[in-house]
Amino acid sequence: MSDQPLRGQVITSQLIASLAARTALETRGVLRLEPTIKGFLARLGPAALQNLLNPGSQNGTYKHDGVAATISDGTAHVHLDIATDIACTALTVAEAVQQRVRERISHTGVTPGRVDICILAIEPQSWKRPT
Amino acid sequence: MALEDIPRLGCGRSIDRIWATLNQPPTAHEAQCDQCQAARTRLKGLSEATRSLREGDLHNPALKPRPGVTNAILDVARAEVRRSKRILLHRTDNGTTEISEQALSSIIRFAATTIPGIHSRRCRIEIRSAADSLSGEDNPTGNSRTTTNAGPHLFVNLRVAAAAGIDIPRTVDALRREIGNAIPAGVGISAGTINITVEDLYDV
Repeated sequence: MSDQPLRGQVITSQLIASLAARTALETRGVLRLEPTIKGFLARLGPAALQNLLNPGSQNGTYKHDGVAATISDGTAHVHLDIATDIACTALTVAEAVQQRVRERISHTGVTPGRVDICILAIEPQSWKRPT
Repeated sequence: MALEDIPRLGCGRSIDRIWATLNQPPTAHEAQCDQCQAARTRLKGLSEATRSLREGDLHNPALKPRPGVTNAILDVARAEVRRSKRILLHRTDNGTTEISEQALSSIIRFAATTIPGIHSRRCRIEIRSAADSLSGEDNPTGNSRTTTNAGPHLFVNLRVAAAAGIDIPRTVDALRREIGNAIPAGVGISAGTINITVEDLYDV
């Protein structure tokens, strides 16, 4: 007799958001994630303020500074607000982030959906992280 | 027969209506009706208690946000305002890429700092986004320079102050070239049309 295998870890929107944020920050040319007022308010009181900002929204969106993730019907959608290094081409950086985030999401077993990137700032700061 | 859920007094008056008109003088009926008068008295007590609690919360130091929280919210809000509108650069089935006007503007200002004798001032960017460009294809020559993602068509309106004594046409041409190279290199889209206005001279 063999034990029933345990099901794997439940993938939450928070986990996807964390994965996306980490992946973005590891991508060459990304300086940081940029908090927005919506994300900041959501952090102060996720449930109440989420409802305030999106009345009736109960879709399990997780928002933190500069990242929002939603899992719907087994598909994960991500929005990232980033600041990029002026030494890199912002659009190229964004596309690299998009591709890497989708790859990482697919490794979790969840289907990667839209990964929307917004470049909120471009600043002259040299890249320090080793590639 | 429809059932009515509105709570009413025995005289038929709606309690909600009495509550809504509590701050107004009683109507002729309410002035004579015992039930209405009793209801008004009780609801006034409730109204006072509500007002008192609301006022108490407003002035309760324990319920005031810490100064750091308020400042942090305002910092983020100010940054959000500075970033201005978002411009769609690219859209595929995998998602969209947008850029804030502030980020684009910072590329332009940074390019301007490399030209001696020029101080950049106000920079406005009008755009025809990538989505619009796809529907109404036009490709004005303007000052487009490099072959990158077609993206949106930009109309850059930069106002500058020039140092007295410089060759303004030549310097402005150099500035336009610099911006025309900086946008494709920094953002990855064509520079579009670059309008430069020298609005002031300054002494070196």
